[in-house]
Amino acid sequence: MARVLLLVPARTYRATDFLVAAGRLGLDVVVGSDGALPLDRRLVIRVDPGDLEASVDRLLARSGPVDAVVAVDTPMLVLAAAVAARMGLTHNRVEAVRAAADKATQRRRWAAAGVAQPAFRILPADASIGALKKAAAQVGFPCVVKAVSLSGSQGVLRADDKRGAAAASARIRQVLGVAGRPADEPLLVEAYVPGWELSVDGLLTDGDLTVTTIFDKPDTPEGPTFEETLLVTPSRMAKPILSEALRAAERAAGALGLRYGPIHAELRLDARNHRRQPTMLELAARSIGGLCSRALSFLDGVSLEQLVLANALGRQVTPHRLARPAGVLMLPVERAGVLQAVHGTAQAAAVAGITGLSITTPVGQTVHPLPEGDRYLGFLFAEGATHQEVEEALHTARRRLRVITR
Amino acid sequence: MDLVDRAMATLRRSVLPSVIARGGTVRVIAVEEGTAILEVRGSPGAVLPLASRIQELLGAAVPEITGVQFVGPHAEPPPAGRGERLADRVRDVLDAEINPVIAAHGGRVTLVEVDQGWVRIRLEGGCQGCSLAEVTVRQGIEPLLRARVPEMVGLADVTDHAAGTTPFFSAEKR
Repeated sequence: MARVLLLVPARTYRATDFLVAAGRLGLDVVVGSDGALPLDRRLVIRVDPGDLEASVDRLLARSGPVDAVVAVDTPMLVLAAAVAARMGLTHNRVEAVRAAADKATQRRRWAAAGVAQPAFRILPADASIGALKKAAAQVGFPCVVKAVSLSGSQGVLRADDKRGAAAASARIRQVLGVAGRPADEPLLVEAYVPGWELSVDGLLTDGDLTVTTIFDKPDTPEGPTFEETLLVTPSRMAKPILSEALRAAERAAGALGLRYGPIHAELRLDARNHRRQPTMLELAARSIGGLCSRALSFLDGVSLEQLVLANALGRQVTPHRLARPAGVLMLPVERAGVLQAVHGTAQAAAVAGITGLSITTPVGQTVHPLPEGDRYLGFLFAEGATHQEVEEALHTARRRLRVITR
Repeated sequence: MDLVDRAMATLRRSVLPSVIARGGTVRVIAVEEGTAILEVRGSPGAVLPLASRIQELLGAAVPEITGVQFVGPHAEPPPAGRGERLADRVRDVLDAEINPVIAAHGGRVTLVEVDQGWVRIRLEGGCQGCSLAEVTVRQGIEPLLRARVPEMVGLADVTDHAAGTTPFFSAEKR
């Protein structure tokens, strides 16, 4: 029986789906986690991603031989690479995973490799307001100011002029402070790319990309914040455009040094030119986040997490996604406050085409909208005969939900 | 379209794909005096966590349905005596070895039922909705129960985790 070391962060949506997937594949699982779990003394190895060396040593001492190491979510990516390297297992190099987690490094690497991306400037933490305004003017307005270490559109704001860029920078610095990021972290200022957005999910094997899903983002946000709300698959874009997008994602991953495991790439089809050239926004060395993978159905009921695990074990992965259009709507936080209730869930779930609704933020928790926020209220899932049916179902269901925040 | 067809259509366009993807299936076999009789096959863990949602869905889409009843291989009453003894032993392990530890996280595990060797539990308090609940179930509770109660066929968590209000670890966006 193959044995997998799953590194599970304390806060993740995805622990259940990976454990269920491991169960379906009949894998023996050993778990490393930074969660202080009850019953964990014998069965879960305590790790701290912030203390890489000690965590690697503890995993080596306690995990026993394993065939693969898989990070269930972002906070465990570097630790997974580090422990796999010490175990001599096939995996991305630590340096490549670190590069993929830093938006400034991504931009530099992609620039060197000639990957299509927005014009950008990287502003050191001690850059003056004047330098920031100058950088924004150089990339052109509107521009987007980004924290380099956060994900999921947290700490990302559009600015339409120099004054807006300065205000966005100040606000993002506050977000970084609350998130506990180092004060010397640079900011990224890049050109705003108008156009249809896609996300490409795939699995790398020795640098070759096998695509698992391409999602369209029909409600592509235009700012000032960039909520990822609606994802619908399969993509409706023309084949040549999709082929170009896949090549861009594969090259972008290669430029970061990623050769194995899942990637999640976000691209826009640049509406500023007639070619609608796929332009890389970001790429992460993991599969799609949140509960979004639950929108996907592969042949024989195989889940995306099963494919990720199989790929990590070096097994040949041939994803046959069912052709029926499917989608997920991530419910954004619209108002800051304490979540009191979400009404209308039964009515939303009863909408034709809705296949699931999961409210993932517990009542009583304090929530913040973007750019401060770091979570969604929940997820709606739908299937339909057409993309329009899927989108209508998701929008109708969302309208039936009444979120009470005080 | 009669009530059975309307109820089945509701399931088909809502939870059925998820149930099938998780190794189970459910169908409406009758509606009697407002109660929909649903036959459950395959993995009980694929259906039972959705029981309250299925009831809500059917109630919202087919107002004539006021209740649901699950029947089938996994919903039949256990053979007299054996299930009760197994349940007692499982309850003893939960009370003596598991709940005292889980209480440190403000959580509790309750035995819902034992059915043909399948043990169904519900997580409450800090465990309900916790992002690591599945780790606790699969890496903690299940191995311990298997060691203490070897005749247990399987363990299903039937908690409605979406309804948890005080999870010990809550999920974040990425």
